[in-house]
Amino acid sequence: MKRLKRVLGVVLALFVAAMFLFPLLWIVLSSFKTKLELLAVPPVFIFRPTVQNYINAFNSDLPVQVRNSLIIAISSTVISIVLGSLTAYGFSRYAIKGSDFLQFWILSLRMLPAIAVLVPFYLVFRTLGLLDRHIALILVYCLFNISFAVWVLKGFFDEIPPELEEAAMLDGYSPPQVFLKVSLPLARAGLATTAIFCLIQSLNEFLLAVSLTTRVAETATVGLSKMQTLMGIDWGLLSAGSILFMLPVVIFTILVRNELVRGMSFGRMR
Amino acid sequence: MSKVVLEHLHCWYGQTHAVDDFSLVIEDGELCVLLGPTGCGKTSTLRMVAGFVRPAAGDIYLDGQRINDLYPGDRNIAMIFQSYALYPHMTVRKQFAFPLKAAKMPAQEIEQRIKETADFLHMHDFLDRHPGELSAGQQQRVAVGRALIRRPKVFLMDEPLSQLDARLRIEMRATLRRLQQDLGITTIYVTHDQLEAQSVGDKIVVMRRGRIQQVGSPVEIYSDPANLFVAGFIGSPSMNFFDCRLEQRDGQVYVRSANFTFPLKLELVQKVRGVPTEKQLVLGIRPEHIQLSPEGRTNAIPTEVYVLEPQSNELIVDLKLGDMSLKMRGDKREIGFRPQLNHKVWMEFQQEHLHLFDKSSEVCII
Repeated sequence: MKRLKRVLGVVLALFVAAMFLFPLLWIVLSSFKTKLELLAVPPVFIFRPTVQNYINAFNSDLPVQVRNSLIIAISSTVISIVLGSLTAYGFSRYAIKGSDFLQFWILSLRMLPAIAVLVPFYLVFRTLGLLDRHIALILVYCLFNISFAVWVLKGFFDEIPPELEEAAMLDGYSPPQVFLKVSLPLARAGLATTAIFCLIQSLNEFLLAVSLTTRVAETATVGLSKMQTLMGIDWGLLSAGSILFMLPVVIFTILVRNELVRGMSFGRMR
Repeated sequence: MSKVVLEHLHCWYGQTHAVDDFSLVIEDGELCVLLGPTGCGKTSTLRMVAGFVRPAAGDIYLDGQRINDLYPGDRNIAMIFQSYALYPHMTVRKQFAFPLKAAKMPAQEIEQRIKETADFLHMHDFLDRHPGELSAGQQQRVAVGRALIRRPKVFLMDEPLSQLDARLRIEMRATLRRLQQDLGITTIYVTHDQLEAQSVGDKIVVMRRGRIQQVGSPVEIYSDPANLFVAGFIGSPSMNFFDCRLEQRDGQVYVRSANFTFPLKLELVQKVRGVPTEKQLVLGIRPEHIQLSPEGRTNAIPTEVYVLEPQSNELIVDLKLGDMSLKMRGDKREIGFRPQLNHKVWMEFQQEHLHLFDKSSEVCII
């Protein structure tokens, strides 16, 4: 009985994993196929791979767009982590008047549907002359990321016993040094988790990106969507482009995977 | 030389008066224990000395210098926390170097100090481990080492042994005491365990509800408690109390309680002169100051054995007296006979160890 349960569990896990991984597999396979192979019915799984799609992708606007995406996402993530950790630390450690209200207000920014603020943002950025500039999207993404960072990181700072900071104070460190040398390193798992989420969120965003940029600061999500033209869709190019766009996040995730697992379980895996 | 003087300290947490007019002098090299039940203000006092809490009023002096406004790190005070507060992300070596780096000590000297401290505490084997990989006792030594390595003027210890198991606690108690005496560092030690307080302290400060109840050596606190609270808090098992009154009859002074009456000895009669007979009093006698005998003598009080609690070399006997119970404690050989359960025995109080308290003010009369 116990054994049956285990087997069933594994089968179920495999099934779910397959469901999620199949699109990825399809994209990887498609990116190496020719047009004819792509449209073959039934689909072919064994074929001679070609890198033509990748060559095409590199020669399109995509590298610039991926670069834009990374500039915007990384800047926004860094700003959000810096400001978010400072704010979260403040909320966690000090008695602030109206603290609950302020925290809820910050969280409510996160609940805002992007489409609700689209038009005002467009008008604001047009007036400021920031349309189609990186800074516009960086600012808008910070709005969402900072509120997320504050909430996640506050939980992590709450978990750090205050005595550790007091010990560091007695050891001769000033409050900013205590924050940098004791509190931040101990919230490392939280920082990694927050960074990944902010990064993915910023890279994936489409609606604001398509509205606030036109050419110069255009991001990869917009670029990929533009591959669906009136002439039809070049699935091979689209697949190759998607994979190129995915790579940075995959690499970053693999780098911080240990912290991430700890972060997702809120430090309970020790 | 490092003498700590606390003058009229007050501390408030919202509406709670956590520390109320606390004045104390701790001499150089002395180990002073703050003793009291949970919430008596002992830890708050310690935290004011450390600089984590600002006193609402009062002054703290270290070697004559007022340190109220100094940042904790500038006070040259080290603390051992109840939870040890070891940095989980640093190896033992790094923990030791941490306070020295703050003081901008050259790397070579830091190495030297770490080596000395590790020698002193026998910790070379786990210098490169993280706190999570150490046993409770080892963690405790790391906490001591980290406090020691700075050569502070004052040591603060907040229940340093409470996380250890009973055996290790007794072992570390002696180690800590020895270390403190060898180094001659002025120490303030907070505990709620009166046995621990008596075994390590040069001076004990008993606190309740933010106020000092009594300051004295362990012996003074034990033999001359200032009031009912101190009398009941110190000693294990604790002192037996009976409501009583004085009674004067045929030129003798008697102590009369609900279940017994006995005449006071002449020396004591002197001391209670002037206490009106209608005054409500409390008689206090420690379990070790009660004598049992198998047969009645004049003025002995008849009781019944209710529970027998044999210890390794001692015997604790619960006695039943009417609707009350009391405990006596004595060396198995010195009791002189074997008390049997439910048997009748006679008890006598050693009057030189007897205490009388005023019931309303709780102050000790004799």
